[in-house]
Order: sequence, then C-alpha cells, then structure tokens
Amino acid sequence: MNSEMRKTSTPARIILFVGLSIIALIQLFPLIWLVNFSLANPNELFTNGILVWPDEIQWGNYVKAFVDGNFLLYFKNSLLINTLAVLFALVISVMASFACIRMNWKLSGFVKTLLLLGMMIPIHATLLPNYVIYDRIGLTDTIWALLIPYIAFSLPQGVFLTSSFMSSIPKELEEAALIDGCGIYRIVFIIIMPLMKASLVTVSIMTYLNNWNEFMMASTYLSTKQWKTLPFAILEFTGQYSSNYAVQFAVMALTAAPALIIYIILNKYITKGVAAGAVKG
Amino acid sequence: MKKLYSNKVVILSLITPGLLTFLLAILAPICVSIYFGFTDFAGIGEVKFIGIENYKVLIRDEGFWMSLKNSLLLAVGFIVIQHPIALVTAAVLDKLQGKAEGFFRCVYFIPNVISVAIIAYLWKFIYNPNFGLFNKLLQILGLEGNVNWLGSGMAIWSVLLVLIWHGFGWGMLIYYTGIKNIDPVLYEAAAIDGADFKQAFFSITMPLMKPVIQMNVTMAIIAALKQMETVYLLTNGGPGNETQFLANFLYKQAFKSYKYGYGNAISVIFIIICLVATVVLNKIFADREERRRKA
Repeated sequence: MNSEMRKTSTPARIILFVGLSIIALIQLFPLIWLVNFSLANPNELFTNGILVWPDEIQWGNYVKAFVDGNFLLYFKNSLLINTLAVLFALVISVMASFACIRMNWKLSGFVKTLLLLGMMIPIHATLLPNYVIYDRIGLTDTIWALLIPYIAFSLPQGVFLTSSFMSSIPKELEEAALIDGCGIYRIVFIIIMPLMKASLVTVSIMTYLNNWNEFMMASTYLSTKQWKTLPFAILEFTGQYSSNYAVQFAVMALTAAPALIIYIILNKYITKGVAAGAVKG
Repeated sequence: MKKLYSNKVVILSLITPGLLTFLLAILAPICVSIYFGFTDFAGIGEVKFIGIENYKVLIRDEGFWMSLKNSLLLAVGFIVIQHPIALVTAAVLDKLQGKAEGFFRCVYFIPNVISVAIIAYLWKFIYNPNFGLFNKLLQILGLEGNVNWLGSGMAIWSVLLVLIWHGFGWGMLIYYTGIKNIDPVLYEAAAIDGADFKQAFFSITMPLMKPVIQMNVTMAIIAALKQMETVYLLTNGGPGNETQFLANFLYKQAFKSYKYGYGNAISVIFIIICLVATVVLNKIFADREERRRKA
C-alpha cells in the first residue's frame, strides 16, 4: 500500500466506484440483454420490461444455433485459419526483421519502410481487386483466400514490433554463436526467437484479435461453407432464421463465447499485449 | 563473420516470404485497382478504358462527400466524447487499486473481443422498433417509445453511438497503460503538497500523457476513415447515403450497383486519403513535439 491509497478517503472511493460501475454497466448491459433474450421463447421478446423472465429457459435455442448454425465446422475453420495465420506471421516477421536489422545490404532500410507502409493501407480498399485476382487464379473458396490477406495485413505490425525488440538484443550473443559455427538460420530460429518471447506474444495476440473477428473478406472471397469462419455463422444464420429472433440471439451468444472465455482466462496477457502492440504500433 | 551477414542468398531467403506476401496481397491489388479505376468494368463482360471519367463522377457524387462528412463526424465523436471519458476513466481506475481495478479493466475491454458481426447485429436488435432495448427504455420512462432509431435523420447518430461505445475499452486501455507508466513518485509528491485528484490530473497526468493522447487521437481519426464493418451490417450506408462511409460506399458500388470500375476508383482515392491523413497527422504531432522540446 502506498501513500496515494491512504490519501483517497472512503466517501471519495465510493463515488469513484459508483462512477466506474455505471460505465461498466453501459459496456456490459447489451451483452447481458443478449444472453437474456437468447434463453427466452421468441414470443416473450415482445412483452414489456427490459429483461424477460422466461417461463421456461429455452436451451433449445442453443441446440438449434449449434446444429443449424454449423457451429463446430465454423469454429474449426476459425481456429485453423487463425492459428496458421499467427504462425506464418510470426516466422515471416522475425525473418524479415532479422534481414532488415542485422544483415548488411543496401536496400534494408527501404524494404523495411515498404513493409511498414502496409499499416497505412486500408484493408477494405483491397477487397475489390483481391476478389478479381483470387477469382482469376482460382483461390476463391480455398483456405488461401483468407490466409494470404490475414498474414499480409499482420506483417506490418509484426515487423514493427519484432524489429524494435530485436534491435535491443545485444549482438555479442550472435557473435558467440557464429564462432561456434552456427549458420544464420540457426541463429534466427534457435538463438534469437526464444529471446523474443514477449514481442512474439504481443504479435500473436494482435494478429488473433484482428483476424478472429474478421468477416468482410470471409464473406467476399468465400461462397461455399467449406472454409467459412465463425463471424460468418451469424450472417448466414440471421438469413435462415429471420423470424425467430430468440434463436438469432442464441447464435450470437454462442459465437461470442469462445473469444470471451479465452479473454477472461488470459485477460492479463491480452490487455498487456494489446497495450504493448498499440502503444508501439 | 561480416561475410556471412552480407550473404546475398541468405538475405534473399529471409526477406522473400515477407516481401512476396506484401507484394501479392497489398501492392498487387492496389495496382489492379488503379487499372480498373480507369475502366467502366461491370464485373463481367468487357473492359473499356474511359480515362479519368470515374474520378470526375466521384467528385460530384453525393455519396462520396457524405462518406467523408460521416468520417469527420465520427472522428469528432471519438475525440470529443469517447476519448475524454476514456482518459478520465483510466485516471480514476489507476487510483482505485486492488481487485476492483483489475475487474473494471477486464470488463471495459470485453466489447472489443466480440466480433463486430455480433456487435452490429446486437445493436440492430437494440434499435429494433418492436422489441428493441431503447424503445422499451423510453416506454419505462413514460414516453411513447416508438422512435425509428435507424430511420432518416436519426440513423447517423445511432451508428456513431455504437462505434463510440464499441471502441471505448480500447482507447481506455491505451490511456490506462500510459498512466501506469507515469512515475508514481510524482503523484506522491503532489499528494504531500496537498493536491487533490483534479489538480493532479491536470498538472501531472495530462501533460505527461500528451504523446499517448496524440497517438490515440491519430489512431481514432484513421479508424474513423477506415470504418466499414459495423456500418455494413447495421445500415449498409442507408437510408440513402445518410450513414455512408468510404469503404462501405466502394463495396456497395461494386457489388450492388455492378460498377466495379467505379468502385476501384473509390478504392484508389480511399487509399490516398488514408495515406495523406496518416502522414499529415504524424507531421503535425511530430512538429509540435519538436517545438515543445526546443522551448
């Protein structure tokens, strides 16, 4: 306990607490409302009152959402595509950073600036041209239609974060490894990468957070079910169950659940990662 | 050792994956956009060059100016409403300490981990005229509660509310981290001198947070320009073009109106606007920083 704490008197603390609670309620209430309505009978939604107290909790809404919403398939796709995107983004970022920061070549500065420039390009400006490109070379409806842009738009931030971290690692470590006869690849992957855990975690979290919830590209580049991701489940489902609102609420709650659970478990790391990623990015 | 670090083959092998992804997924589409921006391509059929006709039309297009106006409005909303609340909340949260501090920090960020698709549909329901949360709230307050939240005249404010609500936690977290980086000794010294929370906020927190505020404001303006997903699902730019944003506008032109060439012309202008905005904002803040350091 420090002196500040003693300075804040009890009534003042209560006022602070109430203020913060009101903001918390504003931030959370729509989600509470969502879960509440997802457990009601569709007819009960039109009754008076802000929340409904269902006569019987309608778990069936979730069963419908899970089965008819193809939850497992979309969840599997989301998990696979995002994990691959994170892995590729990490390895490619570290390799590119090493080449630009440590290796001696004329264009290193230029190439690094070029890669960082990607941060300024609005993702949605590439939707139309990429659609035509992928269509012509037969990538639409394949996993690559999502993987390539997900990796590409994660790279600028990845390179930025890993390169600034890398420049703080003393060169002596590598020199010692070189004397022992290590090649460049072994230096990058066996010596440097393990030292960069903190920034790799940040890049992973930012990449996951950005891509997990992405749906514009998914709905533009994919037309069959095979590779569609979770956010897409909602778009598809609301069309299918357009008159049964309670089931729509259930599919939304179900789709939000995985990310929310992970966030609550790992919230310390995630908030730290976002802060580090955003402050530096 | 020098030789190993200048080995062209090794350099090439390290940089190629990154450079190739960048060229294929970011640079190539921009070039394709520039090309189609000069044509009247409809998505199918033949491609005819029409010079800068698309750009001439764009300058006179009401939807384009509406998009820019809405981005500006959103940026103002972020800066005038969201950020002051976020900054004060962060400062208060920092004073709270203990378990409650961690709890609130965790709660405020929750809307950010939920997919925009869910957020947009959820708010569409909140605004629903029949069973929506807002109209029911009005009814409880004794009003009629039949407001058409996404109707003409009202829609843009409803959209702004969602975006300001959704991004709050993100902005708060950045400010919070910035405040945590301020040396607590400063606050202790201020407390010894008898400064209250308000005085400490304006004479310690605000000045020291300047770089963080500048960065956050820059990101907010860029985010306002790039806005698409929420609007796409909530109103798709409507009614008319009242809630239009550039990204949604170009998408609608290409896929709904089959003006693929025109959509690409908008893409090109969109990229230019984002680049210029980023460069200009960074320059403004960098200059101010420099002057401050010299002074």
